[in-house]
Amino acid sequence: MIDVNAYLGHFAFRQLRHNTAAGLLRLMDSRRIERAVVSSASAITYRNSQSGNEEVAEEVKGRRDRLIPLAVINPFYAGWRDDLKICHEEFGMKGLRMYPRWHNYRLADPACLDLVSEAAERGMVISIPVRVEDRRQRSWLLDVPDVPLEEIADLVRARPRAQYILVNGTGFVNSPLGRENSGLPSNYAIEISRLSAVMANEIGQLVANLGSGRIVFGTGMPFNYPDPALVKLEVLEAGEDVKEQIRWRNVARLLGLPSAAK
Amino acid sequence: MRWHTPKLMPRRAFLETVGLAATTCSGLARAPAAQQRTKVIDCHAHLQHHSRRSWQEDDRKLIEAADKLGIDQLCCSILTPRQPATAEGFRECNQWMAEGMQRFPGRVLGYCYVNPGYGREALDEVRRSVEERGFIGVKLYNEYRATEPVVWPIVELTIELRVPILHHAGHSLSLGEEQPRISDGGHLAELARRYPEAVLICGHIGGGGDWEWTIKALRNAPTVYLDTSGSVIDEGIIEMAARVLGADRLVFGCDNSMTGGVGKLRAASLSAADRQGILGGNMRRILGRRGTK
Repeated sequence: MIDVNAYLGHFAFRQLRHNTAAGLLRLMDSRRIERAVVSSASAITYRNSQSGNEEVAEEVKGRRDRLIPLAVINPFYAGWRDDLKICHEEFGMKGLRMYPRWHNYRLADPACLDLVSEAAERGMVISIPVRVEDRRQRSWLLDVPDVPLEEIADLVRARPRAQYILVNGTGFVNSPLGRENSGLPSNYAIEISRLSAVMANEIGQLVANLGSGRIVFGTGMPFNYPDPALVKLEVLEAGEDVKEQIRWRNVARLLGLPSAAK
Repeated sequence: MRWHTPKLMPRRAFLETVGLAATTCSGLARAPAAQQRTKVIDCHAHLQHHSRRSWQEDDRKLIEAADKLGIDQLCCSILTPRQPATAEGFRECNQWMAEGMQRFPGRVLGYCYVNPGYGREALDEVRRSVEERGFIGVKLYNEYRATEPVVWPIVELTIELRVPILHHAGHSLSLGEEQPRISDGGHLAELARRYPEAVLICGHIGGGGDWEWTIKALRNAPTVYLDTSGSVIDEGIIEMAARVLGADRLVFGCDNSMTGGVGKLRAASLSAADRQGILGGNMRRILGRRGTK
């Protein structure tokens, strides 16, 4: 299995456990998760997110066979182009995560569109966490809303050459992002950690609407327990071939991992 | 490179095998297998209000989800779509709840939902529901804070009837804006100090905002149980609750977030005995008080 939604480092508002490379790998081993796509949790609130990227690059050294690092880039911070270049060329990061609400911008802002274009030129995937944590437990210091799905839909339409992985989201079936024949490009995949697999069964609906090649496995570790996402896959009423796509094949293809060529 | 494909777990095995898949991350030692399957009781669930066109199908899907996940019984209430509930509104909900208990006999247990502001009408509804219709407890929502005197007669009646109150709760800046009279763990602790004989269940630790605050607020209120339900699946939430309150004060629930509710219990580092207590033993003890002296 490949988890597309994992993190290393500290988060400003809550203690995280299993947040070192060694700790996360132990947690992954206990759940038979082979690889995880990780970025810096600290970079969400660092003013200079590149410090978080440097921490992650250092942390994954010697563990690149299992931990796939992504950069966190704020397109309104000085030197982001330099940071992107370093993350891609020196740190070997295959993509980036964007936090438009935490970093106080909109996905339609020209600077953001420039970042997406440059990432696409480099062949880097763009991961957009719809939220970091549940808004009901927000700190008294700040109130960060979820990224509206409509804004993401506008972005995937505006920059169709980029490849996106949308994590920590829900409600896609009520948005153009989750509807069949919505007119949007098929340049995005949706991760399952907040999707239902029973009752409303949003995962099943998205497989039906978008195809099984567009859904990817993710847990949100170590913010989240990994088991809820694992349970979803276990109870999902779908064929084993579909589940294999969700477990790893789709993301292996998106990230150009060697096994995708098999 | 070869990718590992995990074996699929047979249906109804999710919770009986908890502790097998999960490991303690301090030592990563496998937990011992449960000796005997616990009857799993979801202490916090809802059937749908009948104004919802799909209520029958939605109720059926809830039972199907429980089947898949190995949940034996669901303690349910039906709430009015808007609060404050009128007396007519909560009586209608409880009538549908009684019918739901008949539709799913032995599977669905009912809480009687009332708005305490209706005084005698609310008290009569609670007594009738518990004594004549077999309801297992009372559900209070956000019409009043748990500490307001209007709530006290309801609490006194539940003491007499020896049934629990499942109280909607949350400590949250955003919830407080939407629900100005929502109770939090501190209010429930205060109510418990006034009525130590009452059995109170603080609702959805995973759906009530700052869960660390709530757990700490309940530390010194030993008669208040905490339900594990809610959509929030933050790593560590169950372990902190067990460490601060004791596992014997935790009761398993989903509040209709089914895979999250099951997944966080499966994931948490707990002893087999503690896990079994949370999954059903503690709630069975609470339910066993009804009708006893």
